Formats: sequence, structure tokens, C-alpha cells
Amino acid sequence: MKIEIPMPKMGESVMEGTITKWYKQPGDTIKKDEPFFEISTDKVDTEVPSPSDGIILELLYSEGDTIDVGRTVAYIETDSTAAAIAKSTPSKVAEAKKEVETIVEKEVSQPQIVTDDKESLIDIPMPKMGESVMDGTIIRWYKKIGESVKKDETIFEISTDKVDTEVPSPAEGILAEILVNEQETVEVGTICGRLSAHGKVHAAPKIESEKIPAYTDDSMHSIIAQNVNDVIEEKKDNSSSKFYSPLVLNIARQEKIGFDELENIAGTGTGGRVTKNDVLNYLSKRTKQPSEPQVKIEQKRESLEAKPSVVYSTPKKDFDASYVGGGVERIPMDNIRQKIMHHMINSRDTSVHVTALIEVDMSKVHKYIQKNKDSVAKQDGVKLTYMSFVAHASVKALKEFPIVNSTIEGNTILQKRFINLGIAVALEPNGLIVPNIKNAQDKNVLGIARSIVDVAERARTKKLTPDDISGGTFTITNYGVFGTLFGTPIINQPEVAILGVGAVVKKPVVVEVDGIDTIAIKPIMYLTLAHDHRLIDGMVGGRFLKSIKDTLENFDERVLG
Amino acid sequence: MIKQYDIAILGGGPGGYVTAIRAAQLGFKTVVIDKENLGGICLNWGCIPTKSLLRNADIYDTIKNHSDEFGITVKGVAYDFGKVIKRSRSISEKITKNVELLVKKNKVDRIKGFGKLISRNQISVFDENQKEIEVVEASKIIIATGARPRILPNIPVDHKMIITSSEAMNLSEQPKELIVIGAGAIGIEFAYFYSVFGTKVTVIEMMEQILPIEDKEVSELLAKNFKKRGIEIFTSTKVEKAEIKGKNVVVTINQNGQLKELKADKVLSAIGVTGNVEGFGLEELGVEIYKGHIAVDKSTYETNIKGIYAIGDVIGPPWLAHVASAEGLYCIEKIKGLHVTPIDYDSIPGCTYCQPQVASIGLTEQKAKEKGYEVKIGKFPFMASGKAFAVGEREGFVKIVFDAKYGEILGAHIIGAEATELIGEVGIAKSLEATYESIVKTVHAHPTLSEAIMEAAAQAYGEAIHI
Repeated sequence: MKIEIPMPKMGESVMEGTITKWYKQPGDTIKKDEPFFEISTDKVDTEVPSPSDGIILELLYSEGDTIDVGRTVAYIETDSTAAAIAKSTPSKVAEAKKEVETIVEKEVSQPQIVTDDKESLIDIPMPKMGESVMDGTIIRWYKKIGESVKKDETIFEISTDKVDTEVPSPAEGILAEILVNEQETVEVGTICGRLSAHGKVHAAPKIESEKIPAYTDDSMHSIIAQNVNDVIEEKKDNSSSKFYSPLVLNIARQEKIGFDELENIAGTGTGGRVTKNDVLNYLSKRTKQPSEPQVKIEQKRESLEAKPSVVYSTPKKDFDASYVGGGVERIPMDNIRQKIMHHMINSRDTSVHVTALIEVDMSKVHKYIQKNKDSVAKQDGVKLTYMSFVAHASVKALKEFPIVNSTIEGNTILQKRFINLGIAVALEPNGLIVPNIKNAQDKNVLGIARSIVDVAERARTKKLTPDDISGGTFTITNYGVFGTLFGTPIINQPEVAILGVGAVVKKPVVVEVDGIDTIAIKPIMYLTLAHDHRLIDGMVGGRFLKSIKDTLENFDERVLG
Repeated sequence: MIKQYDIAILGGGPGGYVTAIRAAQLGFKTVVIDKENLGGICLNWGCIPTKSLLRNADIYDTIKNHSDEFGITVKGVAYDFGKVIKRSRSISEKITKNVELLVKKNKVDRIKGFGKLISRNQISVFDENQKEIEVVEASKIIIATGARPRILPNIPVDHKMIITSSEAMNLSEQPKELIVIGAGAIGIEFAYFYSVFGTKVTVIEMMEQILPIEDKEVSELLAKNFKKRGIEIFTSTKVEKAEIKGKNVVVTINQNGQLKELKADKVLSAIGVTGNVEGFGLEELGVEIYKGHIAVDKSTYETNIKGIYAIGDVIGPPWLAHVASAEGLYCIEKIKGLHVTPIDYDSIPGCTYCQPQVASIGLTEQKAKEKGYEVKIGKFPFMASGKAFAVGEREGFVKIVFDAKYGEILGAHIIGAEATELIGEVGIAKSLEATYESIVKTVHAHPTLSEAIMEAAAQAYGEAIHI
């Protein structure tokens, strides 16, 4: 039986996911529960297991494609005999092609070149690569005439005096004309080639006829079109039939949101309709993004946005000469990195960050850990760390100062009665995720220690659920593990404060013994609280830190009971 | 034996019974528990019986005061107050019976009795003698126990001389003088009703205008009309106390520091409502109550206790039957896992059924400006409407508030004949995010009162034809 593999639903609010990796290719066998592909959503990254044993028939999307939840992304054949046939016989598309090829061989000895119907062609201009860049050289065409190209697939590579880059195709179609050959330099805006949306191929200069594949004939394409029509239909997003309210269109017009852009906004209204709020949310995010990157072609903004590899956020006139040569490696940001980037910018633009710092004497906690870590590890299977004690003390402080455990909504403060304690977990090689410990107010130190180990472990093995990373009310980030003494962390929106935990380091400090000042060696830790000054002023911030300090310095063993 | 359900609903008003029917449609095994007839305050002691009374008033007013204008000679116009009340009661009775049938038809179980939560998924039901008659268990419980008139200690309601709306719609004798405390929709409707039948009515409002949440211009016009009817209005006036002295109630009012005593044989306390949150187990379970109402997360309507939901008047304002129904439908569809769009609390119509009628949706001009919108106002008086002229209802106007930047309809305010029916058009326009053009380019039938909405929208952009 042929079964459909849909993009899985990862939680209430997750509407789409990006395929980051296919573990299997068509023809491969797969076992039930074996990872089939990896996806990234705006909440979480995860591996998707196969629902049953079978053979991969077809992958409908490429890595990097973003797909609505529920949409079919692949087909698996579960019947082993059918699978064997599927493997040995061509798929529907291939069948059609083969049939066509035969027809072409029979009826058309020479490739026919059609030159009418220019209107249906899509121009591919030399993109504008920056203010001062006037021309560009085509280094390489990735597609030959007659080859089909997907939207956003690289169509040619160019070199300018500032930058080398790949140019994505503005639309899906068949490369019909090449007007500028490799190594030719032309002005920005010059049409380099044309795409045919209808599959017609046109005359091209300096192209030997034998290079034109046999199946580029007009008549053949109409046959293919007929035969594979249903297949293509399935793949096509029927979004052009979307309804936009007059208000949405008004906003789009005034804010110069292109139709392409509009089509890519996820709608939350009835039947997935894009509402006023969806557009306004989109606008607020759009305006926060870095100024127009140089390589963007004005009309084709959307197509390039999908290719972060060619988007620079460096200031326009600031190109280092080394960019031209091979001194700089260009690395595309992965999904997580892009999300972190946007979250950080959003937090900076939302909260008024103020950071307060306090010094904590960890002697008692230190002593307790040294004394008990082995027995606790044995008895309870939990490794005692400073972090667990800091987290527990923070929960106590949050109970004392519930305002720190809140969110701002317009002119209203949403004060939470539950504490979902966020723990920032670093991901190798360069990433970050903040799962939270639900209802931390109900846990003792051991409970918190256990939860920290659990979420951190699941974060590193990509086993987090969307629930784990939503609904947090306060976050702790422990950069002390890297030896950092103190930092000024960025608040995890929509929370209003974040606690930074520094390394515990032995230091000489002045202590008073029997009324005499003397110098002692103590394990000292710096705690910083970055808080949102919109809601929390220095007084509460200071008292909150003081509360944590007092709890830790006067640590009482009984809290473990 | 404990009966098992998917959904148990406590309270059978417009929130509860609508939710119950929808729950059954969605395939949930559902029970609805209420000690009274289904329909809640709305059908028994609110919306429907009062609208029946007001219809009597409209007809009487037309015959008595306007028959000559239509060339009809009526001599010896009289009314029977008892029959007026009786009509209203019998309508209420019939309509609640219909709801019982409707619930039954949808295979919803109905238990008549007082339900009390004994755990987060169990309800014990008692009869009027406090005897336990049944215990039901449900995986999810929806509380829709509604609200009751709010009572303040300085206005000691005795339900005989100092009354609430429930008594006001069921009096055996018409009061000679009536003081209405609170000029919200309920107070205003009774003030209109009794004044039409000749009671000397005085209205006292603490805020600076009657119908305090309505647009200022609308309220001003209504006040003018009421004064013409002989209703005395005190705004920005506090009630210090109300005391029963013999056959009268003496109300001491405070207007800008000046104390004054008013006397009447009946006083109607219409100062708002408060949620029914006591005595059925909420405290014991630790359900969070905020300012007399159950606190819920409005993206799910779940309370702080998992599996317990609350909708309607019991979760606080706006206290409207249609809001309760909408919240119930959203809540149960969300439980089912359907994709539902949250209720837009800026698009809830509100209606007052006096004459001229008052209806509104969204922001008033004042509120919009406070929120920082640059507004564009479109206004069209019924004076300029052919239909209004023909039917002899020339008082009032339509006012639409637009956001000048994007052309969004922020609010609409109608005062005049059939205002409460007309507001629906703006409701649809607003929820579909229409702009002024959508309204203006929609062909409206001529002659109708609804043309005034089209003209008001056009007027905002300088395109009105008939003014």
C-alpha cells in the first residue's frame, strides 16, 4: 500500500515546518520508527520517524522547503512486492517522459525551436548587487536550455567587483533562452535569460543544437503536461485563490507589501485567512529586520529572502577587499540561528534592558555539595550542581516578587501564579534553546536538579516538545560553566527578567570575625539580573537579587527534605 | 451509580445550553445541569421577557401619542397592566420549553437540580430539599452559572419596594413613581417602559452620561428624548442611600456635593451584575476568582484548574447573552481541537431596546482617540432618509468611526428606529475587515433604513449623496 507521509503537527500554534534533512532517498528501505527526516519549526527541531516499514517512493520537497502542517511530504510503499515493482518500474512521471521521448524520436528528427509567444516568458535580469555595483559577470549557468528549474533554485552564478553570488530563479519553469553567456559582463538590469512558465523553448544565441535535449519540444511538453498534470497539481500551492479582506489589501497597499509577500504570510483567521493582525504582526517584524540587503532585486524580494546565503546584513559601503577573494567563507545560517537572531533583535527592540549585579558567598552551598554529592548521586541519581541551588533560590525570590514573574500585554501586567523556569541550554556547535521547568514552584532542590538534567539532556538530543519551550515565565542562563564571571543577558521574550549565573571562583574577601575585619578565602559567584525597566525598577530588581543572595548564603539543608 | 460524561455543563443559560448542543454535535457525551428552566436569565428573566414588555410599550406609545399623525382616530386608549406582564411571562415560559426540547432533540442529558463540584471532574446534583439526587463524572466541566444583579449595602434591596430587574418585569401593580438607579441598558429600558405607561420616572447615573459606554452624541440625543418624555435624569450623581420610609422609598443623592432627597413608591437598583461563583465548590477546588468572577485564559476559557472551564457572565464583562454563547462555542470547539479564531472583543454588538433604540459595536469616537487612532467620522441623520420620513421615525443617526490610516471600521453607533437590527450589517463588515468602500459599493435596497449606514460611510469620505 502506498502511504502518504504528512508534515507532522508539532503543537497548537505551529502551522508549518522546514525540512532540514532527508535521511532517506527514493528507493531506500526504511523501518518503522526509523528517522525519516528532520524538521525545524519556529518552536523546536525534531526528527520525524517513519510510521511503518517500507520503501521510499518519492520525496515531494527538498531540504530547506517550508511546508504547512498536514501537507504530504513523501510517499512510502509498505507492501514489499508492490515496493519491488515500484523500484523496478518507472514512476508516473518517468513513464510519461519515456513515452514522450519515444514520440519525439519518432516524429521529430530535429529539435524545433519555437519563437512565438514571447509574452509568457519571464525575464531574468542581472541583479543589482549594491549601490555602487554597475555590472556583473556570469561565471556559470547552472541550467541548460530546456532544463526545468524550480523557484529559488540557483540558475546562474555571477561575479561583481564586490561579491560573488548565486542567483536564484525568480519562478518555476523551463530555461528557454540564454542571452548572456558565461564570462560575459553586462550592466545591472540586463536580461540574462528567460524562463518559460509554459514549458516552451526559444531560440538561443550561440547554442549548438545538439546541446538541446530531445525532450524540449513544444508538443512533447504538452503531452508531459497532460500526463503528469495531476502530479503537478498536487504539488502546487493553490494560494493565488486566497481571499484578502479589503482592510488587509489597504494595509498592504500603503505599506508596500507585495502580493508575493502577502501570500507568504500565515493566516490565523477563519479558514486560514490572513487577518489585519497577521499583516500588522508581519509588518512589525519586517521593519525590524536589517536594512535592505544589497543583493536583493527589488521586485523579487521574496525569492531571495528564501536564500539567506546571499543576504548580507553588513552596512552597504563597508565591504572588505578580502570578500572578493577566497579569504572569507560564506556559511548559510541554519534555521535555529536565524530564529535566535530574530529573537534577540526582537527582545532588544521590546524590552528596556537594565542589569544589576550582586556578589554571593557560596560557602555553605559549596560545603553542602562537597559533603553530599556522592551520596545524593547514589541515592537519588541526581548530580548536585550550583545551578540547582540558584534555580531553587530564584523560585523562592519569584514567589516573593511575583511582578518579576510576569508579562506585559499592552498596558496590562499579566502576573503568573505558576513559575515555569526557563533554563538556557547551549547547543553544539553554536546554538541555544530555552526549555522551561513547568510549575517549578512545587519542586524542591532535588526536584529542580532532576528537571534541569532532564530538559538539558532532551535539548541536546533534540527530544524537546513544543510544550517544553513555550509558556516560560522567567529564565536562568548559566554562563559560569564557561568560566565567565558575569554577563548582561538578553531577556527571553515575553518574560521581563533573566538571571545570569557566573562562575564560582575562590576569592579573598573581607569578613568580620569577632568584630575584627580579616581576609578570608571564599567561593564567590556573581549573579546578574537583566530586567525590563518598563515594568521592574531598580528597587525590585535589587531586592530580588538580594533575596537570592540571602537564600544561598544562609542555605538551610532542610530544603532538601 | 456515577454516570460518565465527556462534558458536563453547569448552568443552562445562553452560554450553557448553546455549548451543550454544540458539544453533542461534535460527538461528546454531554450533560447540562440547572436548577431552573433552561434559558437562564436571558430567556427567563432578561432579554426575551423584557423585549416582550418593550413591544407593548412601543405599540401603546404609537397609538396614544402618534395615531393622529397617521390619520387614525383612537378614542379612550387604555391598557391592562396585568395583561402586559402576563404576555411577557407566557412568552418566556413557551420559549424556555422550546429550549428544553431542543436540548433533548440533540441528545444532551438534562438534570434539573443544583450542581456542586465535588472534585475536578465530579458534580453532585441536589434537589430543592438539598438532597443529593445524582453524581456525574465528566472529563471536562464547563461552568456557565451566569450572574445576578449586583447589590450594594447602601441600596438595601428588599425585592418589594427596592427591587431588581427580575421584580421590575413581574410587578402586580404599576408603580406611580419609579427611581431607577443606574443608567445602563437595563435601567434605561425599564425607565422607558414605565414612563410610556405613565409612571413618573427618575434616572440616576454616577457617570457623566446615561448609557455610559455608548458614544457621547448618542447618549446626549437619548437624554434629550427621555427628558421630552418627562423622565428626570441626574448624571454625575451618586446615590448616598436608599431607605424605606412607610409606603415610600427615600433616595438621598449627591450631585457635586449637594445632597438631595427623592421619593418614590418603587426603586429599581440596576447597577450591574456580579458573577455566580459562590456555594458550588469553586472555593474548595481552588478555582481562581478575580473581582467576583472566575479568572480564565481567554485563548481556551480554561480556569487555573485543568479540565475546568468557564464561559459567559460568570467570567466577567461584557455581560451579554451573545458573548456567553460565542465563548461557549469557541471553548467547546477548541476542546475538540478545531481551528477556531479567538473572539474579537472589539466586535461585540451591544443593544438597548428603548425608543429610539440604541445599538453599537466597537470603539466610540472618544475611545478610539484615547487609543491613539486618528479617526475619520461618518455620520448620517435619519432626518435625511426617505424611509425614515415615510415611516415617521426621523429621530436619530448613524455614526461610523474609521481609522484614518488604513480605513478600518473601528466602531459604529446607531440611535433610531430599528437600530438594533441595523447594527448587524456593520458587525459583518467589521468581522470581514471591510473598509468604507466595501459598504459604499454594496448596493443597498431603497428605501430602507440601512441606506443610512451606506450614506454614513460615504459621508466620512465626502461622498454622501443625500446630505
